[in-house]
Amino acid sequence: MVKKLLVVDDEEEICDFLKSFFEDRQFEVETAHSGIQAIEKARKFGPHVILLDIQMPEMDGLKALKILKEENPKVKVIMVTAVETQEKIEESMRLGADNYITKPLSLEYLENDVQEKLKGLV
Amino acid sequence: MDYERILRDVAKLMVRLKKPSRLLKMTTRFIDKNFQLNHTSIVIWDEARSRYAFADSKGRQKIPSGFVKFDREHPLISWFSKTRRFVKMPKDYLLRSDLETQIEKGLKTNSDSMRALQIVLKAMQVLKAHAVIPAYYKSDLLGMLILGAKKDGYGFEAREISFFQTLVQDCSMALKNAEYHQSLIDRNSQLESQLREIESLRTREQKRYYEIIRSLAQQVYAKDPYTFGHIGQVERLGVITGRELGLDMAGRYKDILSAGLLLHDVGKIGIPDHILNKPARLDPDEWNIMKTHVDKGAQILEPLTDFKEVREIVYSHHERWDGTGYPRGLKGESIPVGARIVCVVDAFHAIVSTRCYSKGRPIETAFEELRRCAGSQFDPTVVEAFITALTKEMKRRGTGFFYDGEIKHTA
Repeated sequence: MVKKLLVVDDEEEICDFLKSFFEDRQFEVETAHSGIQAIEKARKFGPHVILLDIQMPEMDGLKALKILKEENPKVKVIMVTAVETQEKIEESMRLGADNYITKPLSLEYLENDVQEKLKGLV
Repeated sequence: MDYERILRDVAKLMVRLKKPSRLLKMTTRFIDKNFQLNHTSIVIWDEARSRYAFADSKGRQKIPSGFVKFDREHPLISWFSKTRRFVKMPKDYLLRSDLETQIEKGLKTNSDSMRALQIVLKAMQVLKAHAVIPAYYKSDLLGMLILGAKKDGYGFEAREISFFQTLVQDCSMALKNAEYHQSLIDRNSQLESQLREIESLRTREQKRYYEIIRSLAQQVYAKDPYTFGHIGQVERLGVITGRELGLDMAGRYKDILSAGLLLHDVGKIGIPDHILNKPARLDPDEWNIMKTHVDKGAQILEPLTDFKEVREIVYSHHERWDGTGYPRGLKGESIPVGARIVCVVDAFHAIVSTRCYSKGRPIETAFEELRRCAGSQFDPTVVEAFITALTKEMKRRGTGFFYDGEIKHTA
């Protein structure tokens, strides 16, 4: 079965980079640039894993996280953000985030973590 | 492409660039423009956060800035800082094609070296890197130049690699220069702030000095009940006169002049009260004793080495412009300007104040009197400056500003 990944970041460069990075690793990748777009894309696309930024226009990552997890408790959400405050980390965990990675990140770690989250799903 | 000429031009540019971030951006932009590559990226050691990070990246497959970091254990970093030595790879740069050939040739020998090669190849694949050129300074790995594949699909030529190596070397030198330059600037601003601190300490110290002087002066005037409390006015009048004369009233001279104005009669401490407060004219003997207050004043200030100029003012404030004053009979500009100011202000103050031997007279009368004696007793320039300054000040702040209470200003 094909591995589906949704990348959510308001920076287009990061979306493009991660799309190409995971496509090279045989993922099917969709991108979204805001919380609202992420929810729409998730409904249509049905990703296994979502990489979710926090600081975004329209709807931020934490609000989106709550809705994404409500609509599909099985989806794995990895927060990928430049924000690194205890408050945001705790809130993410409370809302059901599966990991919290801060930018700049190690690509090797990110790839391993995504593969880890896919175990038992695909 | 004329590599040598380009290197010369780039080196010249680098010398002029003081900002490391601009230097790195210029280098990536330059390679991106002149070589058809999928991406050109520079990874650089970030001392403050103790990690390597992408400083800049250009091209179709560029790595977004601030998105990826490497720790010291990252395969590419450890390759250049340690692994390369025990794997015995002769080249000090990495080519993807070299690694692939090596791995293919040595497939059967499943050694540690082989595993190291595979790990580093994987790391290059993750970054879509086809060539990695390290930047060293002494034995420290400053960073790396990471190049994507050529758009035409060909491999890198030896002369291209040697060009990149030279470029990276120039870059490292320029970075170190910029760092050194920055450290000089930092050191400089550190010194400046220390200097400011010393300066503010000095100002605070002077303020304390000043409080002591003021209280001492008050004590002197306390012996003369008619003028008690007016020492502050004498000081203000002198300062505005100094400013009108164009003296530097923002700097040290303000303190000197102020102290001179406050302390000019400090020697009166040593004059017996019956002479000081005598309600009639002094006889010649008494007058001679009275005159010694300038010597006594100078004696009091003698031990204070910082107060040499103040002492000169105190000692000379009874000198006359025409040379007939005391104690030395100095003439004209050989009398310190501070003393010439004290002389005028003191005389003015005596005229308008009610004292034991005379009633206060109007300001206009005082001005006339000062002008009458300009050129003989007083320096005419100081007299005019004083009158101008006081007139201005009274216009601005009202006549009552200097003389309230027992002193009448106009008839």
